[in-house]
Amino acid sequence: MRRNARVLVIIAIIVALCGTVLGIQEIKVREFHRGGDTPLGLSLGLDLQGGSHLVYRALLTDSETGEELDVSENQMQSLSKTIERRINSSGLGEPIIQILGNNRLLVQLPGIRDPGRAKTLIGETARLEFKHRYLDTDPIKLESFQPEDIVSITAEDVNSDGKIISQLSTEELSSPNANIVSFPALVVDFTEKGAEEFRQTAVTLAMSWVLAMDSTRKGNLLPPDRLGMTIKGSEELRFQVAGDDIARLDGETLIAPLGTSTKFLIALPASEDQPATVINADQAREKLGLNPSISFDIKKGYIDEDIGLTGDDLENAYPSQHQGSGAPIVSIEFDDRGTKLFGELTTEIYSKQQKTGFRDQIAIVLDGQELIAPVVNSPITAGTAIIQGGDFTLERVKDLSLLLESGRLPIPIELIQERDVDAILGADSLRKSVVAGAIGLLLVLLFMTLYYRIPGLVASLALVIYALIVLTVFKILPVTLTLSGVAAAILSIGMAVDANILIFERMKDELRAGRTMLSAINIGFNRAWPAIRDGNVSTLITCAILYWFSDQLGATIVQGFAATLAIGVLISMFSAIVVSRTLMRVLALTALSRRVRLFVPSGGKDIADRQSQS
Amino acid sequence: MDFVGKRFWFFVISSLVIAPGIIFLILAPGLRPGIDFTGGSSMTIQFPEDTSVDQKELRESLGAHGHPEATVQKMGPTMFFVRTKELDEISKDSLVLGLANSFAPNSDPQLLLQGFDLVSPVVAQETVINAFWAVLAAAIGIFFYVWWAFRNVPRPLRYGLAAIVALLHDAIIVVGIFAILGEIANMEVNTMFLISLLTVIGYSVNDTIVVFDKIRENVLVFSNRPFPEVVNLSISETIGRSINTSFTLLVTLLALYLFGGATIREFLLVLIIGVVAGTYSSIAVASQVLVTWDQKSIALPFRKTVTS
Repeated sequence: MRRNARVLVIIAIIVALCGTVLGIQEIKVREFHRGGDTPLGLSLGLDLQGGSHLVYRALLTDSETGEELDVSENQMQSLSKTIERRINSSGLGEPIIQILGNNRLLVQLPGIRDPGRAKTLIGETARLEFKHRYLDTDPIKLESFQPEDIVSITAEDVNSDGKIISQLSTEELSSPNANIVSFPALVVDFTEKGAEEFRQTAVTLAMSWVLAMDSTRKGNLLPPDRLGMTIKGSEELRFQVAGDDIARLDGETLIAPLGTSTKFLIALPASEDQPATVINADQAREKLGLNPSISFDIKKGYIDEDIGLTGDDLENAYPSQHQGSGAPIVSIEFDDRGTKLFGELTTEIYSKQQKTGFRDQIAIVLDGQELIAPVVNSPITAGTAIIQGGDFTLERVKDLSLLLESGRLPIPIELIQERDVDAILGADSLRKSVVAGAIGLLLVLLFMTLYYRIPGLVASLALVIYALIVLTVFKILPVTLTLSGVAAAILSIGMAVDANILIFERMKDELRAGRTMLSAINIGFNRAWPAIRDGNVSTLITCAILYWFSDQLGATIVQGFAATLAIGVLISMFSAIVVSRTLMRVLALTALSRRVRLFVPSGGKDIADRQSQS
Repeated sequence: MDFVGKRFWFFVISSLVIAPGIIFLILAPGLRPGIDFTGGSSMTIQFPEDTSVDQKELRESLGAHGHPEATVQKMGPTMFFVRTKELDEISKDSLVLGLANSFAPNSDPQLLLQGFDLVSPVVAQETVINAFWAVLAAAIGIFFYVWWAFRNVPRPLRYGLAAIVALLHDAIIVVGIFAILGEIANMEVNTMFLISLLTVIGYSVNDTIVVFDKIRENVLVFSNRPFPEVVNLSISETIGRSINTSFTLLVTLLALYLFGGATIREFLLVLIIGVVAGTYSSIAVASQVLVTWDQKSIALPFRKTVTS
């Protein structure tokens, strides 16, 4: 009894400790810092709180042979430091950066709302280039279209449903909802092959149009790519359209080239886009004549030309304020070579602007992705310049300076895996899992108590203590809770329940065999132990193997699962063997133990009878 | 109850459950691999609630934006799971913008990108290879442990192998059902599926060991009785516990399946199937393999039944 009392006290202390740890949201003791504003202060995985999970691979190739070289640990360390510095100084929150295997880097950004910004900040090869962006580009003929790819060319008036007005039936025309708002268009019928090729061209044009619209919204007026057509009929006809002027004839919306027909609509210039060439369907029909032929060309919206000016020529970049307006700007300073090249570039752009009116830009490109493309207000030959933008915020100015300044990463990297979860989805998953888990656990407790009576109640108590301990261990270590971790927790609860059920079944056997309550409990536990041990050890083996494999692979979900399951299994053994057993032993010594039926629901009567006879 | 005598029927039932899955696995395309195994991108898109957009329209629009390879799965009234080839930041942005302009030009925000995943083929290939080795390593580890844990009974090797047979039985049932679901419901398998399969393996072995433990005990106690009789007795003694344990686990899993989020539903489905299969296989496969091996005949129960 004294031993039981001692164990009971220990259990009580553990429960109190767990309660305290879980009750205090944030624990801070010198270096030791756990918890935060999450439920119970547990640390949540990206799938539960939202965020970005990025895996990069360092790629070091021999510049001559192109062979892949080994990356040293030092290089990985310095890579990890550079990225950490970049993200930290951007105010995006604290990244968790981890080196995986020998050439991989895992960057986790909990709670981040804009993964695109983080990715730009991290950069990849971090090759910063300044390019001359020409806005006056020459059309390039599309050689892939042959005259035999085109079946017919006609000019029609078309409504916005994509129907040819002259082909509408009288009924359709007289209906009150008739769509007779029309615009003139060319209808080009292709062969199957021609249609597929034209579809691809149209998709590219549509994408460029969408991007152009987006850049316009951000204040940078970039023209979209345009499709030029030269039609030779009874007269020559030439005009250009952007991606939004092309549709398939049976399309549902006129913006996107949907559908399967081989006929395409190309809007004739009817607006003030190109006033000189405004033309209606009748005029176009006349010009087409009987046997027209058509050739296509593409005029790119802009072309970026390499001028050999890179991040290496940049001395300094920092956020500052415009002296006049106080608006946030980025100041940059070049070294000698950079000053010379930048001077030449700005002079050329500026004088062209004066002569032709084309406002060419300087495209500043990081890893092939445009950071910003400022225009030039005057030639800059002194080597210092400021970049201002209509949409510049303090944050954006800081990011830009950081990217310009920190130049290149020590080794080029490549993004090989990304997982972004929106915070709303994460919070939703968390809430639902908690509710569902609670319902499940309650049902289990209810079942155990109804079916196994007193032992069931004891087991339920042990299970609650088990849950408390597991959560506390998760918080202290800390174990990051993910959806796969929730899964592992369910399985380990299952195993904890199983351990209890095994013990009770054994105990019932012993009670039926006529043993006293206390000895039935002791023998029941001892008999059940090998099964519990072997079952749990084989689970632990699986966990160890999973953990090891996922460590090699950098599969953090799998690793989290294995770790959570292993912890759960170990604690479930403790809960069944120590907590349940002690509580049962204590109960066996009370008056309750004489009411055998409370311990053995079925067949309990016989045992009670037998015991009272003996 | 005579479990051992019915072992031929147990084998028949198992074969009937496994066969359709195997047929679907062999006939192309078998399991439908998700981007974790093939590489590519996937995203969860939530359109504003008042937009009308259906799966077909979305697929067509994706085609029009240069992604004819895209597959679309509906997850909610205006929520979709879209899978495409690998997208870099620029093509992702332009695709999202394009979809927003096509379906919800006037709403603000136009659409929510709730989740985005990208897996390069390098990673995907490694995942497949590593998954294979992990399952193999787990099976071998368990085999050796069971062999060792049963070293005190005659022919312990058989227990290890029988546990592995039951484990494979359960894994094949789950994989087979997902091959069927992949065909009829476009259900894809991903890393999470792999984890759940490993969980099922863990449960299956755990359950098998409980029955074997009873056999281990009874073989030593009733060493004069015939082996099939001992196995039958052991099953009868453990069946109450087996049913109770799997019942409680199923209750928890069902609660999670019905009330938990959509993101882990597939995972729970695997576990539910696996728990049922795992409980069944401990009694009807693992134990019966031991008996069959001992009797050296599957057909014996038809000639003359051995019962307790």
